[in-house]
Amino acid sequence: MTPRAASPPDLTRTGILIVEDFEAMRAILRDLLARAGASRITYANDAAGALTLLERHRFDVVLCDLHLGHGKNGQQLLEEARHRQLLAPHTVWLMVSAEKTADMVAGTVESRPDDYLIKPITETLLFSRLKRQIAKKRALAPIEQAMRDREYLRALRLVEAELEQSNPHAWDLKRLQADLALHAGDYPRAHAIFEEALNLRDLPWAHLGLAKIHFHEGHLDDARRELRKITDGNRAYLEAHDWLARTLVRLGELDAAQDVLLRALDTSPHAPTRQAELGEVAWHRGDLETATRAFQRAVDLARDTPLRAPMPYLWLARVQLARGDADAAQATLTTLARDMREDAGASLLAQAMRIPIHLRVGERDRAQALAARLGADLRARARALPAEAVFDLAGPLFELGDPATAGALLGGVVGNNHEHPEYLERAQELFARAGLADEGRELLAGAARAATEIMNQGVRLAHEGRLDEAIQLTRKAREQMPNNARLLLNHAYLLIAWMEKHGRDLDLALETRECIETARRLKPEEKRAGELLTRLELVGNDLELA
Amino acid sequence: MSDSAGKLDITTFLLSAIHDMKNSLGVMSSYLEEALALDGADAPARTRTARALYEAQRVNDHLIQLLALYKIDQAFYPFDPEHHCLADLTEEALARVAVLAESAGIELDGECPDTAYGWFDYELVFGVVVQALRNALHYARARVRLEVQSVGAGVRILVDDDGPGFPDFLLEHGNAARLGIHHQSGGTGLGLYFASVVAGLHRGGGDNRAASGAIRLENGGSLGGGRFILELP
Repeated sequence: MTPRAASPPDLTRTGILIVEDFEAMRAILRDLLARAGASRITYANDAAGALTLLERHRFDVVLCDLHLGHGKNGQQLLEEARHRQLLAPHTVWLMVSAEKTADMVAGTVESRPDDYLIKPITETLLFSRLKRQIAKKRALAPIEQAMRDREYLRALRLVEAELEQSNPHAWDLKRLQADLALHAGDYPRAHAIFEEALNLRDLPWAHLGLAKIHFHEGHLDDARRELRKITDGNRAYLEAHDWLARTLVRLGELDAAQDVLLRALDTSPHAPTRQAELGEVAWHRGDLETATRAFQRAVDLARDTPLRAPMPYLWLARVQLARGDADAAQATLTTLARDMREDAGASLLAQAMRIPIHLRVGERDRAQALAARLGADLRARARALPAEAVFDLAGPLFELGDPATAGALLGGVVGNNHEHPEYLERAQELFARAGLADEGRELLAGAARAATEIMNQGVRLAHEGRLDEAIQLTRKAREQMPNNARLLLNHAYLLIAWMEKHGRDLDLALETRECIETARRLKPEEKRAGELLTRLELVGNDLELA
Repeated sequence: MSDSAGKLDITTFLLSAIHDMKNSLGVMSSYLEEALALDGADAPARTRTARALYEAQRVNDHLIQLLALYKIDQAFYPFDPEHHCLADLTEEALARVAVLAESAGIELDGECPDTAYGWFDYELVFGVVVQALRNALHYARARVRLEVQSVGAGVRILVDDDGPGFPDFLLEHGNAARLGIHHQSGGTGLGLYFASVVAGLHRGGGDNRAASGAIRLENGGSLGGGRFILELP
């Protein structure tokens, strides 16, 4: 082998986007690419400019610097582009970086670029990586498409077919295969691949994979042991820190969880979800100063991204109020109303959460007026509101003499979480404090019982072969309990059973998928979600079960 | 990197200064490479440009190594062994020093099985191999050779030159970690220290978990000069 033996790739028909804030570097990349015949090159200085271009064109290759000066960095840009589906399945994303950083060992397929180019970028480095990744992405585009369609079983089949041809990317593919098996709820298969990998080398991602399985199966001590193998002595593996913190919270070890999150944030402070996790842990520890800082960061970091959601704002306002800073809490809600004005639910919450603030600072009349104005809206949306917001709101509503709205809100929370007695207890406590213990017990027990009965009746009807009636029942119940994960999965199960009998129906398939995905968002650890997705995929398709 | 009051400490400045220097050197190197690729320059100008390129790349590599060592020391280097194609490593490492070899009139070649793979952290090992190649090119008379072999589950990487070979004190202190700063060697010992740290991070798998990587220096080799060996389990 002699140097420069490699021929350049043919880039004459390749659409390329260069995202780079450093002018000299743009010129270098342009000149290098020109040597491979590239002429369709577009440039962006920053993430905002890149997003505008990505909205309009489907590029074949994106060369993106990790550090982009002002605004979002390359990693955030990639995540947003993927989230908004602005990339074609075959698009190659190469991240240019000055050095190897912790962001580069993020575990999930979704968050990784196709490859990293560490500066200095030379012709051979650029060409060999481009050739390799373009060929690889072409070959794997059908798998990528299947994943986008959330058809994990089809994706798994395609990966297996690739592996049978003794593909050169074998371990990339096996890692992907294990991730897909996790998504599809096929833990034994994922487990086998992680074990196989660990037999070859002490690989952080394989330990992480095993830990996720332990966590989902409720083996928290095993999960912790596996995660400690990665995090002890090295704080670069950020995703492992997040999972460790999650595990420690479940184990009730809040001090340790906060330490782990702080360590991860020290390495990479720009993750809004990690900041929000820290905020919650700190809140439960009574460390309101840390909680304030963390939620503020979470809000700021997520503001212009698809991760933006009302909860961190509400948490921030809650912590600020708990510290006696009503003005700051008001300001936070004003920000929420402005940042998310297009979201009716968020707007309602931004208004309603002022009720406890007014009450707290002695503005009872204003609280009263606001509660009266919002009462009907709140009752109408009671079942879709986040539980933590409801718990903050119910007490003040009782105090203002509106037990009807308070009861509707608490009943909604209990109905959505009928399998979790802690919600029932917290709701009952609020009724008791309002001197309405008996009324509360009756209403809440009724809500929980109704949920249980619907589940049981649905199962019974299904057993008797009366699928249509069962579906009618659970569909109606879904309107009452739109965030009840168990109900959603039961409903999905019945819909699939119906389709298995009568054939695939497009509307029902969509309804099923929506139920499964909402349930998965509510309870990410629910293994049944993956299994049902797999069964849904099989309905009316000629893929036979593995 | 900053204390609770948000005040930046000296480490922050050092790190950002290193990044800044590294970016400048990167740009400088690519201009120098382009200058060398142009026809028409006379021989003395080419020699000086090549010398400048060598220095710019050497310092650039040292900065990269310093950053990596800092991160390893502070326990946040994202050590990430993956299953890499050995031919890709060979090709990219040779290419990285090709301009330098050409301008110095040294014949550079490499040998590697086409389909062999090995588990290693690409960036770290690439850094070690390029450093060894550059060093060999500096001392070689006419030839440098890179050989990457697959050995069991591990990898052996040899860099040979036909120069005068390593001085005795370097051979005696086979363990570069103990070398420290040595002005006689014409360098700071950083390169060898870096190589030994990188080797040590790599561990075996399966029944070979206890094994870790190592570096060795020899004289003789296939070209009669110095030979640098990196072995990964």
